[in-house]
Amino acid sequence: MESVVFKYGSSRAAKARIGRALKGTWHRLLFVGSILLVLVGLGLLIIGVAAGWIFFGLAAVPYMIHQWYVNGLAELPIAKKPRTIDDMLAGDILGQLSKEPSPREIATAVSSVFSGQFFGARFGISARFLQEISSEKATDTPALWKEALAIRELVGQEQISGGILLVALVRTFPGYEGLLAHLQIDSDDLVQGIRWQQHIRDLVNQHAKPRRTGGIARDWSFGYIPLLTRFGQNISEQIMQGGLLSSELEAHKQALDQMISTFGDAGRQNAVLVGPAGVGKTTIVHAFAERLLDAESSLPDSLKFRQVFILDSSALISAAPGRGELETIIMQVLGEAYSAKNIIICLDNAQLFFEEGIGSVDLTNVLLPILEAGRLRIILTMDEQRYLQIGQRNAALINALNRISIKQATEAETLAVMQDQLIVIEYQRKVTYTHQALKEAYRLSERYIHDLAMPGRAIKLLESAAGCASDGLVTALSVQKAIEQTMDIKVGVASGTDEREKLLNLEQLIHERMINQTRAVGVVSDALRRARAGVRNQNRPIGTFLFLGPTGVGKTELAKALADVYFGGEDRLIRLDLNEYVRSEDVARLIADGANDPSSLTARAMKQPFSVVLLDEIEKAHPNVLTTLLQLLDEGILRDIKNREVSFRDTIVIATSNAGADRIREYIERGYQIEQFEPQFIDELISSTQFRPEFLNRFDEIVTFRPLTKDELVQVIDLILAGMNKTLALQKIRVNVSQEAKLFLVDKGYDPRLGARPMRRVVQRAVENTVAKQMLSGTVAPGSTIEISLEQVQLILGTQQQANQIVADNQPTPPSIPESSVKQ
Amino acid sequence: MFIVGILSWWYGPGWRQRVARLGERLNASMDYFSIDLLVRTFFAPFRQISAGKVRGPLGVQMRAFLDRIISRIIGAMIRFIVIIIGSITICFHGILGMTLLVVWAIIPLMPVIGIILFATGWIPWSL
Repeated sequence: MESVVFKYGSSRAAKARIGRALKGTWHRLLFVGSILLVLVGLGLLIIGVAAGWIFFGLAAVPYMIHQWYVNGLAELPIAKKPRTIDDMLAGDILGQLSKEPSPREIATAVSSVFSGQFFGARFGISARFLQEISSEKATDTPALWKEALAIRELVGQEQISGGILLVALVRTFPGYEGLLAHLQIDSDDLVQGIRWQQHIRDLVNQHAKPRRTGGIARDWSFGYIPLLTRFGQNISEQIMQGGLLSSELEAHKQALDQMISTFGDAGRQNAVLVGPAGVGKTTIVHAFAERLLDAESSLPDSLKFRQVFILDSSALISAAPGRGELETIIMQVLGEAYSAKNIIICLDNAQLFFEEGIGSVDLTNVLLPILEAGRLRIILTMDEQRYLQIGQRNAALINALNRISIKQATEAETLAVMQDQLIVIEYQRKVTYTHQALKEAYRLSERYIHDLAMPGRAIKLLESAAGCASDGLVTALSVQKAIEQTMDIKVGVASGTDEREKLLNLEQLIHERMINQTRAVGVVSDALRRARAGVRNQNRPIGTFLFLGPTGVGKTELAKALADVYFGGEDRLIRLDLNEYVRSEDVARLIADGANDPSSLTARAMKQPFSVVLLDEIEKAHPNVLTTLLQLLDEGILRDIKNREVSFRDTIVIATSNAGADRIREYIERGYQIEQFEPQFIDELISSTQFRPEFLNRFDEIVTFRPLTKDELVQVIDLILAGMNKTLALQKIRVNVSQEAKLFLVDKGYDPRLGARPMRRVVQRAVENTVAKQMLSGTVAPGSTIEISLEQVQLILGTQQQANQIVADNQPTPPSIPESSVKQ
Repeated sequence: MFIVGILSWWYGPGWRQRVARLGERLNASMDYFSIDLLVRTFFAPFRQISAGKVRGPLGVQMRAFLDRIISRIIGAMIRFIVIIIGSITICFHGILGMTLLVVWAIIPLMPVIGIILFATGWIPWSL
């Protein structure tokens, strides 16, 4: 049982202090000194002075101290039977401590060593942070030692490293969870950090160990392979030169064992690795090649030191322009591999060899007999879809293969792979990644990157985040920026002043182009604010709303206004007219593959995940279409026809419906306010079986739009006129319509059935015609304002009958015609 | 403490490290020359020239047989040379390593030896 006693006077503590004193330039000076003494001694002896022996002999002293430091003190091993703290404390920290160290003193020591600095760089736990949370009282130190021992046991390390002490320092601070939350980490992340550090140390040690790879005569009993060398890539040779820096994932380990068992047994000597792109199939082939080269791994003799060649399909195709030549070359290459007896062929992306296309060729007829015979060792890799397609075309081929499925990596495994990859990425890109960046890369790539599986997708994002590093540090924010840039979305919490202002004044901004409908504008704005403050449910869309009400009251316009004001333009609106989805078969069109149908909902959401999705006239959709949309509304996910998950979690989903419009009008005419009749109205809608309750329940809010009043319609005219003035600004002309004329336009343009929709046409006809005539007659000069009076409007619109005609022209309202409150 | 510490390390863990390194070096040499493999495959055709079964008329089979014999002879000669070179190298590494181990043991005595030699006034090249 270890005790929390710290013995300053122990021999290990004394050695640690000596080691600390020799650290840096001192031990190098000693080495140089010993060489100088030898040279002086030798020089004196050459000129015949016997005193040279003294220098010669004395050279041993600095040399011995140097050797002691380099091989003994620099990495002070823990005591054989550790009992006290000083027996197991890392030497670089132990050497710095006084007789009765306080937690603060320990914090200072931890901050000065590599393991402490590791946490500074990776987790943002700076030296100052540690100082501030550490007690100055030496009486608090035993509690710290106790915590350190508990963590040491938890992580299964022998030594109490700087990392363990750092985590212990944090954990002994009351309320540390809150502090860590500021850094977007928790206590478990810190424990992971200790393991990460240990893993790096293990990898470096493993890499530094001499490799036993069979020696000079290894391949002498096997055949020459000139063709293979030309058309293939010898990954075994690459591994011999560089080696792999990788951790063995559980999913990969199983696949490796299966491969060894397949190739070690007497059955068909082939394996097909099936899994989505990015899951690590090629990495497994590399790991397999590495294991075959390791003299110390337990393998059947028939597999030891076998070499893995990846065939290069493009090199093969380019070398065989003539008909039938490719088959000849392939047969020669495979024949060579078979004769050589130590070759395992790998067809990476094997579909390239089984289907016709650019850079691919169908060699099924050549390869099938070889695979069926099962004598030449072949590894194939392909994704699930291709495997099924090939199987559909040629069942015999699939029957000849030993399938090994590769599962996606879990979060912990993905983090481990990312940590391994960082060693190379950080070296190449000259950046440092924080732990928070890794976790964010996992989270965001899982949500937004659909064409790759884990861990490939997280690594892809991690690499692209290097370009967004600030001061060489890649943080969670850098990862967010990277995904925002590549996917054109907003994922972080609103931080810029402009965006905050915009969010706080969203209602006002929307009302610059929308009249009234305050409740609808309010609920939508609230949803966006929740999203950008980071307090929304991340596993649903930003908001899901059902807008009910008569036509021409601003339902669609609100969606457009939102897209324009917040999402960056009206092109951010994914609009679907559900009256085009009235048949059951239309479900397929809704979730079609983007490659075949770019206008499908899933394809558009994949291209533009940060947008407003407008499902217009939802009551007209087929029930199966509505059932398909349930998952979208509930979880923010829709699976496309290829079963790929498409995220709608960064969209606002707005469904509109005219259902019950007459009823709304009736309530309003009877003098009710919306708040008074809305619950009853929704009950009526459910009873009328137009919508199923489970469908309506999926929406965050059901908002009823009321018909616009006359005063509001005048405001709509103001908006339309503002739009016209914006257009006329190019001609330096303004239009001003008198109040009486506006009221006249409201009278002529409003239709209770169509709402404010026909108003635009009436206003355009009245105002634009007047302006056009005046401009052509030369009575208007640039910089002037055209005043339009009631008389002029009456003259243009003429009788009520003519006005009605204009309104009537607008009757067969196509869904694409903008509503009347649109500002151009 | 300092002197005790350094001496106990020198003749304890320090020496063991030297022995381990010598072992590693010898292992690396043995792996590189893979003498056991060379012995096991001593008469195997070199780089599989003309290896494998050949079907055909007797003349062709005879030629293949002769090719194989030549390939085996070439292989045996090369392997023999490498076994000799490898054995010498491994022995050299072993002897050098053992010498260094002895030198390692003498180094702490060097100051005393130096003083004694100075006292005797002996200089190797002035007889």
